Amino acid sequence: MKRIFPLAVLPGLLLAAGQAQADTGKLLLTGGVSSITGAAGGGLTPWAVIGTNATEDETGFSSYLTRVATQDYSLNSYGAAIGLNDRVELSLARQDLDASPTLALNGVAAFGITPGQHVQMDVLGAKLKLAGDAVLDSDSWMPQIAVGLEYKQVRPGSLQSVFDFLGVRNSGTDVYVSVTKLLLDKGLLLNATLRSTNANQNGLLGFGGNSPANSSRSLQSEFSAAYLLRRNLAIGAEYRNKPNNLEALGASAGLADGLHEDSWKDLFVAWAPNKNLSLTLAYVDLGQILPGVTAGRKQTGYYLSGQVAF
Amino acid sequence: MKLLLITLSLLLSSLASAQAQSMAGTGSLYRALGENAGITRLMDDFVNRVIRDERISGHFKKTKPQLLKDSLSAQICQLSGGPCQYKGPDMKSAHADMDIRKSEFNALVEDLQAAMDTKGISFADQNRLLAILAPMHRDVMAKD
Repeated sequence: MKRIFPLAVLPGLLLAAGQAQADTGKLLLTGGVSSITGAAGGGLTPWAVIGTNATEDETGFSSYLTRVATQDYSLNSYGAAIGLNDRVELSLARQDLDASPTLALNGVAAFGITPGQHVQMDVLGAKLKLAGDAVLDSDSWMPQIAVGLEYKQVRPGSLQSVFDFLGVRNSGTDVYVSVTKLLLDKGLLLNATLRSTNANQNGLLGFGGNSPANSSRSLQSEFSAAYLLRRNLAIGAEYRNKPNNLEALGASAGLADGLHEDSWKDLFVAWAPNKNLSLTLAYVDLGQILPGVTAGRKQTGYYLSGQVAF
Repeated sequence: MKLLLITLSLLLSSLASAQAQSMAGTGSLYRALGENAGITRLMDDFVNRVIRDERISGHFKKTKPQLLKDSLSAQICQLSGGPCQYKGPDMKSAHADMDIRKSEFNALVEDLQAAMDTKGISFADQNRLLAILAPMHRDVMAKD
């Protein structure tokens, strides 16, 4: 697929659009924040809400910048999204992972990995609201329901040799359904997402893999809960199950559990000082990421994200 | 999945609305809003904001503010479990042919939230009132 539209142009577009759309009309925080793949929702998982500040009959824009840092890895992510009529969401995001620990794989075989190698991944997202209103249907249990997909393309640089060895592909598409409900009288938001995926570590370690890796898709469940302390302040938690496709392959290649993959979890606080800006700070637990080269250390650390939305 | 959820919601919505009725019925929200006097002050502030709110003031050009304040006070009193009986038009009739947009509905909600903030109503009580009012969006924005 040819190189995706340069992200550098988007901030300019957003500023211009922002002038025109300053009066878009969602209630505060009801568009969620930007997840690390660009879809609106929590930090780690998409929700059924359509992002940006646009409500029905409106078009909105948002962009975000996120940094995650754990013991051995750090990830920068940035992107932008368009919300149409509170029905359709289109997003574009880039993840840039500092995969320096993978240099140690040169000791396993002559992979030719460059020191300080980064893995970049682009995500093109689309989400469609099917039914419900997460906020206003407070007299029923009916949630807001949306389906979405994330087309991911990963560029591993000198790690391509490792990708080839593992038989993982450089692109893949996650498909998901999300149900989101704000229990308005309690100020409690609940989300469940079911994702069909064969991505390894969200795609940063490619898609699928050679046997005995699990190359086919599996269904992974993801959950979020957020409690509104004030209109502009929420705390919450997320839990995202992951396929752990590659562990068996690693074991058969003599790497024991070196390719094991864990679920992702976080505890977050989100603050919206005004309608156009939100900041999210989280403690993340990403479990083991390539434990073979990180002495099995659990990757925990911070997640910091800022989103501008019109 | 969608059919299952709709069926489930139909079964449970009667439960939920029954619960909401009983919650309102205890009158605790009515008391939290300051009973008749508090609700009157709240609607006074709310309507004043609404008719000054450029996003929606166009819909209120022909409205007599005091009549609207009295009508809303009676409705909120009843809905929050107070000893009132609202006898005015239902939401659908009251808003027929006004072509209310979602953004305008949300603007009105923001004005109500601002009024409740000014009157010192707790965030939890605000959400309890909003939870009772929110379903009206279907009648307020009804397109026939």
